[in-house]
Amino acid sequence: MNAGYITRRMLYGIPLVLGVTFISFLLMVYFGPDKTYELVGKNPTAEQIAEVRHALGYDRPFLLRYGDYVRELITLDLGLSDSTGEPVSSILKRTLPISIALVVPGFVIGNLLGLALGLLAAWYRGKWLDKLVMSMSVVGMSISFLVIIIGLQILLCTPYGLNIFPVRGWQVDDIGSYFYFVAVPTLALVLVTLGYNTRFYRAIMADEIERDHIRTLKAYGARPAEILFKHVLKNSLIPVLTRIMFSIPFVLISGSLLLESYFGIPGVGLATFNAITSGDQPVLKAVVGLTGVLFVLALTINDMLYSVVDPRVAKS
Amino acid sequence: MTTPALKVTDLSVWFETESGRIPVVDRISFTINAGDATGLVGESGCGKTMTAMAILGLLPASGVSVESAGIEVNGKDIFNLNARQTRAVLGRDIAMIFQQPATALDPVFTMGQQISAVYRRHAGGSKQHIREAMLDALESVGFSQAEDIADAYPHQLSGGMRQLAMIALATVCKPAVIIADEPTTALDNSTRTLILQQLERLRTLHKTAILFISHDLNVVRQICRDVIVMYCGRLVEKTDCPSLFIQARHPYSAGLLSCIPQISATRPTPISSIPGQVPVLTDLPPGCHFAPRCTRVEARCRKSVPELDDKNGSGAACFRPL
Amino acid sequence: MTRDIWQRLKSDRYGMSGLIVVTIFAILALCVWSGLLGQDWAKVSGSPFESASAAHWFGTNLLGEDILQRTLFGTATAFEVGLMVTICSTLLGTVLGGLSGWYSHGWLDEVILWLKGVLDSIPFYLFAAAVAFALQGSPWAMHLAMIVTFWTTTARIIRGEVMRIKQREFIEAARAIGLPGLITVFRHVLPNTFHILLVQGTIVFVAAINTEVILSFLGLGIQDGVSWGLMLAESSQEVLGGHFGNFIAAASSLFLLLMGFNLLADALQDALNTRGEFT
Repeated sequence: MNAGYITRRMLYGIPLVLGVTFISFLLMVYFGPDKTYELVGKNPTAEQIAEVRHALGYDRPFLLRYGDYVRELITLDLGLSDSTGEPVSSILKRTLPISIALVVPGFVIGNLLGLALGLLAAWYRGKWLDKLVMSMSVVGMSISFLVIIIGLQILLCTPYGLNIFPVRGWQVDDIGSYFYFVAVPTLALVLVTLGYNTRFYRAIMADEIERDHIRTLKAYGARPAEILFKHVLKNSLIPVLTRIMFSIPFVLISGSLLLESYFGIPGVGLATFNAITSGDQPVLKAVVGLTGVLFVLALTINDMLYSVVDPRVAKS
Repeated sequence: MTTPALKVTDLSVWFETESGRIPVVDRISFTINAGDATGLVGESGCGKTMTAMAILGLLPASGVSVESAGIEVNGKDIFNLNARQTRAVLGRDIAMIFQQPATALDPVFTMGQQISAVYRRHAGGSKQHIREAMLDALESVGFSQAEDIADAYPHQLSGGMRQLAMIALATVCKPAVIIADEPTTALDNSTRTLILQQLERLRTLHKTAILFISHDLNVVRQICRDVIVMYCGRLVEKTDCPSLFIQARHPYSAGLLSCIPQISATRPTPISSIPGQVPVLTDLPPGCHFAPRCTRVEARCRKSVPELDDKNGSGAACFRPL
Repeated sequence: MTRDIWQRLKSDRYGMSGLIVVTIFAILALCVWSGLLGQDWAKVSGSPFESASAAHWFGTNLLGEDILQRTLFGTATAFEVGLMVTICSTLLGTVLGGLSGWYSHGWLDEVILWLKGVLDSIPFYLFAAAVAFALQGSPWAMHLAMIVTFWTTTARIIRGEVMRIKQREFIEAARAIGLPGLITVFRHVLPNTFHILLVQGTIVFVAAINTEVILSFLGLGIQDGVSWGLMLAESSQEVLGGHFGNFIAAASSLFLLLMGFNLLADALQDALNTRGEFT
């Protein structure tokens, strides 16, 4: 892996970034609400209207306005929130760490568990253990995220259930309070993703286990644990990593959106949710644009990871 | 009489299907002494690879059943072992070389890592010691730059080199028996010679017993002393190579031989083929499996199964041997 | 061949039960559409938060509306959303995927692939919010957002198929006079891809319903009428006060329908020997 390779991969990402930001611009800024009438007073004259429109940049050519948007994103000059007046960049700085702290445990556990179960199901393919795991996966996939969240809330946070965790909130000062507030959201995240993860990983592992080199390993007396954890896993690493990388943005955004708005956790998701309900354009266009860029970044890093993991790819 | 390196007695493999039990390997028995090579010959699908898998205990537990009166390596039973005991034997006392080294080797580990793993598993020792044993194994198959090969991944080696590396993998623990399943089929002529040379070396220098599985009689005759012929899961002839080529006794073996074009003949010899087709395993005829295609068939061939009589060391399973 | 597939499908007990469940729900939806059931979903027919009784099988909600009626109407909504999104995104995906595969590695293909990459890169819920924003709260914003993002997986699959078939037909065509027209390829591709599209369709349907639930919770979903998503959104507050009617009705209907679809999808995948892809 050399500088040329890295540059090439980065270059491929540019058209995608442009596309993402363009759509974001189109939807949020161009077709978005016209702010003129909020800023002019009553009975505005044509001049006043024109003045305001000029100040807002509405009369600039399309491409220039798009260019402005991209510039804003790159320089993180994101303006002020419509609803609170706080600078958008400071909103993001404040909320992002919270969202990450919220989503990471569930994401990690959901994938590790999914890998383990998928491995188990693939090794005992066709036997009762496999069928059990697969049935549980289908059930897991059939329960909506929302149902899981509400259900867990009833079971764990209300007097109608166990009532050991808080219904909402996020007052985290130490490990103890962190665990207290992150437990139910993490559980929800794990339950929602487990079904999909397990099925996906099982399919990959089952494929891998059929391969000739696994037969060679068995022919030389390798123990099942060694075969599974050393060889099957390493050979499946590419599709596994791809999936993990691709799902990070999704889980981060959708997961945080629902979990935070439901549990009242002040992260990016809640800020976005508030922005959606109040129509706060600056916040929304910043979030949409930035997450799009982040996603393309994830894609690029993923490609580069391939060459590290699989020696066959490094050759090309 | 010395203990044979490999002794297989009445090995049978059955597939369990909805329509019943299908015999894929039917009471195979043979013996290989230390330093000898025996060829196991037959068309694809006749059960050769199944036999090898069954000897190593590598067949899946469900849907397949294996029966045998005994499989012994140097007198030690390897058939009635539990999983853990079997794993201890595989790679140490008996090892297998596969047909397609490109897929049989793990693509994400170096050759050195793979060979060392086998040695560490069965012999163990310090890291230094294991590395020496691994490099030794690579050198002994003819790699002069053993360290480079050890650091290479399978896809970085050529086909012939991969197969040689496979042999190094098989011999690092100096097993008494090696089963080679079509080791040269995927290779071109020059590398084929290399591989055969290595196998010959193993046989003569290390007294390794070799079971050489192939459909190609020409290759078999180059290094094997004895040959056993399989058809539809059954052993139909057992003899030594020279005798087979002078006069095969079972009609099927004779048919196989006449299929080989004779390049060195002074006159062009007609290439004949055995009429008919190999029967489907679910639809085997009673009596001798070869009867439908045999030119020497009689009434009793279709009714009863001719047994292989090898009291003199060789024989054919035929009522009317040639 | 279809008989063979039907046989395999019939022998899969789980798949068949899934099919039955889906059919029952479909019939309910039809009844609602034709005015036979669920018409009183907005009628205040009782006092607030009545518990389950003979008059109200699931009780009533905050406003005194019968939950059963609302659940039935929600069935129709689910199917309406599911069918519309599935059919439209499948059509769009087939056309674009077909074009992309036929002109593979050409400029049209590159453009469509780029478009796919871009759409796949935008987190869906944000995109839905953006669309709703842009359309100033039109009730079709949700459907549009889903159709515009869900077509990508179908397109990817169709593109692969077209490229595969193109290989085959091409060889024959090279001997024949001239190249087969785009129409001919479609006529060859579509019959062969029907089973893949069917499998993928069931997956998209499930995704659409799941998405609607969450969008409705966020306020971006159904604007008029009622859906299980809206009922769940209502219930999120209600359960804290001990009123579980909405939650139980919506959650169990949703679960049953999704489970039915998932089982059916699995059975279809096994019977037709193809795998789908999650959108």
